[in-house]
Amino acid sequence: MAKALKINTRDNCAVLLTDVKGGEPVEVRTDAGVSRLDARCAIASGHKIALVGLAVDQPIIKYGEEIGRAQTAIEPGDWIHLHNVYCRRGH
Amino acid sequence: MNTFQGYRRSQGLPGLRNSVAVIPSVFCANTVARRIAEHVTGAIAFCHPVGCSQVGLDLELTARGLKGLGRHPNFFGVVVVGLGCERLQAHELEESIASTGKPVETLVIQEEGDTLRAIEKGVTLASRMAEKASRQSREEFPLSELSLGLKCGGTDATSGLAANPALGWVTDRVVEAGGRAIFTEVTELIGAEQLLAGRGTNPQVAGEILATIGAIENRLAAATSNAELQHRSALISPGNQDGGVTTVVEKALGGIYKAGTGPISGVVGYGQYPEGPGLYLLDCVGQDGEAVTGLVASGCQEVVFTTGRGTPTGFPGVPVIKITGNSVTFDRMKFNLDFNAGRIMEGATIAEVGAGLLEKTLRVASGELARAELLGHDELFCITRI
Repeated sequence: MAKALKINTRDNCAVLLTDVKGGEPVEVRTDAGVSRLDARCAIASGHKIALVGLAVDQPIIKYGEEIGRAQTAIEPGDWIHLHNVYCRRGH
Repeated sequence: MNTFQGYRRSQGLPGLRNSVAVIPSVFCANTVARRIAEHVTGAIAFCHPVGCSQVGLDLELTARGLKGLGRHPNFFGVVVVGLGCERLQAHELEESIASTGKPVETLVIQEEGDTLRAIEKGVTLASRMAEKASRQSREEFPLSELSLGLKCGGTDATSGLAANPALGWVTDRVVEAGGRAIFTEVTELIGAEQLLAGRGTNPQVAGEILATIGAIENRLAAATSNAELQHRSALISPGNQDGGVTTVVEKALGGIYKAGTGPISGVVGYGQYPEGPGLYLLDCVGQDGEAVTGLVASGCQEVVFTTGRGTPTGFPGVPVIKITGNSVTFDRMKFNLDFNAGRIMEGATIAEVGAGLLEKTLRVASGELARAELLGHDELFCITRI
């Protein structure tokens, strides 16, 4: 099964440690334990997967800090990257 | 107890290598400097394109960079080569280096007569110095005598997940032991300035951190009239994005992991050495060559360089240890990379991998060659300009 790492317990996204195809399950490892969700699309290793649903303008949290905000609505299992994130500090 | 074997100096921290540096004060002296070093085992020429026709801060940075380089503990001694009419005079460089108590000799091409005479004199001076250096033995030093440079380049998502956290663990151990660690790449910190300011040991340091990062951001934005490029998102490279890094803040936070979790004791200017132990921010840009040269010119005896995509580069006379958090990159670029932190990606703890990296760092400090040294990589010497 594809694997992902949630770095900080506050994070709402995890980083894929292996490639995953759309519809396939992902095992998400955290300090607190292991959970599972399905990827909604293909996501490459190293890229982020949403762990919860996010409305437009809600913060994306990684390393326990805000790294950007949702530009479009994001569903659990979505790929999070340039196409659906804006960075308040810059834009 | 963590110790390493180094070369005692009359002042300051010990050297990890014992080379003779041949430093031109101006680019006009490059060929003479290079030919001197070619004739002498253990001598390294530091050729560069600056030293004249410069004014203001640009000239000052060149002078500070070359002085900081010459004072570096990894060099037993220095031969300064000048032309004679240059703006940065060889004797100014000599005086600064001599204040460390190490052997320094200066020759000026226009005073010697010509290239051939200058090379002849330089070879004589450098070979005498190299002979003396070869008689010196290593001695044992505690971790508090180490000044570690921190750098990353060719970042991918594993850098912020594995390599930088492992290096951060090492940084915390060095600083706790009373040693020094310096991070820089101020261009890469843009976006995380408030987080870093909160780690300053006092309000003055916090203010310096904010001012240092703010100044570089303003300078970068002012350097172009292209609105798209003024944007700080332009700091992310296509390689970073392919690897999964989305925003400047995310990239900054991942990079900052290598500076550990401890307080920041101060900001050091380009070419300046920290006055005491602790974690310091060096005011220098993030380009690999300029940043590593800045770390060296602030006295870091070795640099630990994390990479995701893999990079082979090195600095002459100063070990640059390459670590990656990407096991695929580690296997593919075996002979360029010194340490694999990728086990964190497979479930090992940061502390386990960090302990292995500290051991590697101390072995290289004691004389084991880093891969970049082994393969003769010397691309990273690059004096910063404005």
